[in-house]
Amino acid sequence: MDDVATKIIDILKKHMKEPRDDIGLNTQLTDLKIESLDLAMIVFDIEDTFGIEIPYNANEEAADFKTVGSVVDRVRALIAGSGAAAAKA
Amino acid sequence: MQGTGGPHRVVVTGMGVVTPIGCTVPEFWAGCRRGQLGITPLDGFPIGDLKILIGAQVRDFDHRARLKNAKRDKIILHADRYSWFAAAAADEAIRQAGLTVPFENGYRVACIVGSGAGGLQTMETCYRDLFIHQKKATHPLTLLRFIASSAAAHVGIEYGVKGPTFATCSACSTAAHAIGIGRDYIRHGLVDVAIVGATESVINYGVMRAWQAMHVLSPEGCFPFAKKRNGTVLAEGAGILVLESLHHAKARGAKMLAELCGFGMTSDSKDMVNPDIDGPSEAMRLALEDAELAPTDIDYLNAHGTATTINDRNETNAIKRVFGKHAYELAVSSTKSMHGHPLGAGGGIEAVACIKAMEENWVPPTIGLDEADPECDLDYVPNAGRDKEVTYAMSNSFAFGGLNAVLVFGPPPA
Repeated sequence: MDDVATKIIDILKKHMKEPRDDIGLNTQLTDLKIESLDLAMIVFDIEDTFGIEIPYNANEEAADFKTVGSVVDRVRALIAGSGAAAAKA
Repeated sequence: MQGTGGPHRVVVTGMGVVTPIGCTVPEFWAGCRRGQLGITPLDGFPIGDLKILIGAQVRDFDHRARLKNAKRDKIILHADRYSWFAAAAADEAIRQAGLTVPFENGYRVACIVGSGAGGLQTMETCYRDLFIHQKKATHPLTLLRFIASSAAAHVGIEYGVKGPTFATCSACSTAAHAIGIGRDYIRHGLVDVAIVGATESVINYGVMRAWQAMHVLSPEGCFPFAKKRNGTVLAEGAGILVLESLHHAKARGAKMLAELCGFGMTSDSKDMVNPDIDGPSEAMRLALEDAELAPTDIDYLNAHGTATTINDRNETNAIKRVFGKHAYELAVSSTKSMHGHPLGAGGGIEAVACIKAMEENWVPPTIGLDEADPECDLDYVPNAGRDKEVTYAMSNSFAFGGLNAVLVFGPPPA
């Protein structure tokens, strides 16, 4: 697990009432009892930590937020995207 | 229910609205008749980096023209926009009611005009002035403009209301709670007349950023009960009713528009954003019980219908639970498809839609309903309104925090 994944898991644990130590890339967010408001707060924290924006709509089933791994992948892609934009500027 | 000992019957003698599809009741209803969409690209303030670029703003509202006849309230022209909407809607309602104002016996009148958030336009200006423009002081009226009780106070001052005067605050159920409480005061003889409803005007950069952070607004539109629905769209406006005891209305020969037959209120006591089925069902059931009506008596139901994935499904299930087979005979529509979600003011505007539906035996549509969610299979009056005999109508409001308020209207008593 790389630095991005570790940071994201730390953020998830921070927002859980009973943080678990067994969270891996395959863990489903629903297993962590993360609901819409929790997700909004977690996304906000991730956006702040990595300096990215993660657009999503709570009304839509987001594949990006199915598992911890899918969140990590999305964040990595957004970091790469914003890095490229910064390089162009 | 009538008789010297029992609670008074309560009737509606005046209505007023300010909405994104019409700034008076006739204009609003004409908009409903046309199936008019009040949702447009946002403008009138710096849009900046907003991601959600649509809303249902009130257009062509000239507060100086609308409120020029204010006689007693000296500073209404200098109030926040949310107070202007309340004053304009109250003016329309009081004129229709034909009541002599200022009230001779002001202590027998209540004025309960709520707001979900109060004067947020003023807050935006105030914070920009202080933190960005580094101004030495804020406008002296800043505080009076933004507190959520000022709209009620302004309306009360104008009409000489000396009885219970205050605001309710329950997010999207604010207006319904105000209307129900005003009715209760009349029922139990505390007052004879009540000016009730709510007002909201929160569409500005800061508030849009706050809403965006919740990820529940749709970038496309407000499509209640549709398969494609993906969130709600913010609106602004006001809806005000004049309520009177039947006795008071008859004594002065007032034209009665409707009877406010029933009111039910509950709280989900579960979650700040996700609604439960029990709270809304019980609120509807209590409203029917209070009105002494059977579910089969209701002809039209104005849904809360915000077009979030979760509300529309939950509300549909709650309606089915309360109405059983009759759920499929009901005409259920969400006028939010036309006027957007005016937050606290919704219940007031939607009460007016119910009363007009009864008056004209015509039910307004849920527009934008090209294909319904298979789990939402009731008759939502898709896309075009239609003739339907409406004797009794129900209006649902289900707010953040699980705060539920349901109103039932019926024909004016003979």
